[in-house]
Amino acid sequence: MTRLLTSIAFVLALLTSAALIAQGEKPVLKPVPRTADGKPDLSGVWVGGGFALLFGEAELEAIRKYDAAAGRKPLPPPEPPPYKPEAEKKRQEYLARRGIDDPMARCLLSGVPRITVRPLPFEIIQQRDRVVILYEVHHAFRFIPTDGRPHPDDIEPSYLGDSIGRWDGDTLVVDVTGFNTNTWLVGVGTIHSEKLRVTERYTRDTHDTIIYEATMEDPEVLTKPWKQYATLRLRPGERIREYECIENNEDIQRFEKLLQSGEFKKP
Amino acid sequence: MKVACAVACGLLVGTVSLVAHHSFAAEYDGEKPVTVSGTVAKIDWMNPHIYFYVDVKDDKGGVTQWKFEGYPPNMLVRQGWKRDVTMKVGDKVKVFGWRARVNPTQAASREVTFADGSKLNSGPPAGTGGQ
Repeated sequence: MTRLLTSIAFVLALLTSAALIAQGEKPVLKPVPRTADGKPDLSGVWVGGGFALLFGEAELEAIRKYDAAAGRKPLPPPEPPPYKPEAEKKRQEYLARRGIDDPMARCLLSGVPRITVRPLPFEIIQQRDRVVILYEVHHAFRFIPTDGRPHPDDIEPSYLGDSIGRWDGDTLVVDVTGFNTNTWLVGVGTIHSEKLRVTERYTRDTHDTIIYEATMEDPEVLTKPWKQYATLRLRPGERIREYECIENNEDIQRFEKLLQSGEFKKP
Repeated sequence: MKVACAVACGLLVGTVSLVAHHSFAAEYDGEKPVTVSGTVAKIDWMNPHIYFYVDVKDDKGGVTQWKFEGYPPNMLVRQGWKRDVTMKVGDKVKVFGWRARVNPTQAASREVTFADGSKLNSGPPAGTGGQ
């Protein structure tokens, strides 16, 4: 009797694992959801960066299988920032200082597009005449009107700038301007001026993914527009949590000590 | 494999900072891995990183307290950690990470092995971000 029960349990275990494997091997490809006015609905919780930090190997493998099943093509390879010589010299100095000058390490709000690829999720809420993005990191938010209004005429330079959106077919195009200079664009030392203008394009190419394209233009520091791409991935069941960066940020003091140690020169 | 995914999964590789808060290289040396075993003395479950302190006994009976940095709580809970449950003061742990550049008893933790042999990631891999 015991042996029979063991056999049944064994068969059940085999069936269960077979079902799990089948589930893993055949990703579910659902259609891109649309709003009542026919636009692709970008609403949902997404992550734009740091997948290898956030997810285990099984989930990374599921991502690879999903992309293959959906026929997703690799995004264009990253290109280095096309900085003018003076700006590139500054970037190299910041790189040599290993990023200790990073505004992010002082808990300052990241700008656009960097905030999109921080390894914490954000929620997009798409409404008829505006898109709202709530970022877990820094409790940040962006209101992106899509009703045709222009940028306001009283913009104060800010970390996230001022955004207005429009639809180009199935792509949400966001024009962002009015930045301060307290942010880095995407990586260490990627400085910019107040003349920075970013054009973001959000294209929900499959149910689970958005192709994110950011074009940065800044005649003060860049020789030409600089494009960066990322895949934003849907996180079903995920929710935005609180992240209060300054709570116990010991890095500021430690970086000051590093500066005083004489290891680094001021840029 | 993870590097392959970083490319295949379409990250802004090459220029992006993949860390939640600061570049790895700013404070830690990816060329200096370290593994210590000891008893958890204190846990600061706070942003922008958690810190936990481990008392490590040497052969002569002396105790050195190591300070380990880890992911912020929001990233830990998404990887299976639970505050006051997964790791408690008094627990025996083995911690793998990389040494700090300045403080000789501080390190960036990557993985914690618990008394029952289970392991969890506790921080980012060396070299993350900064480029």
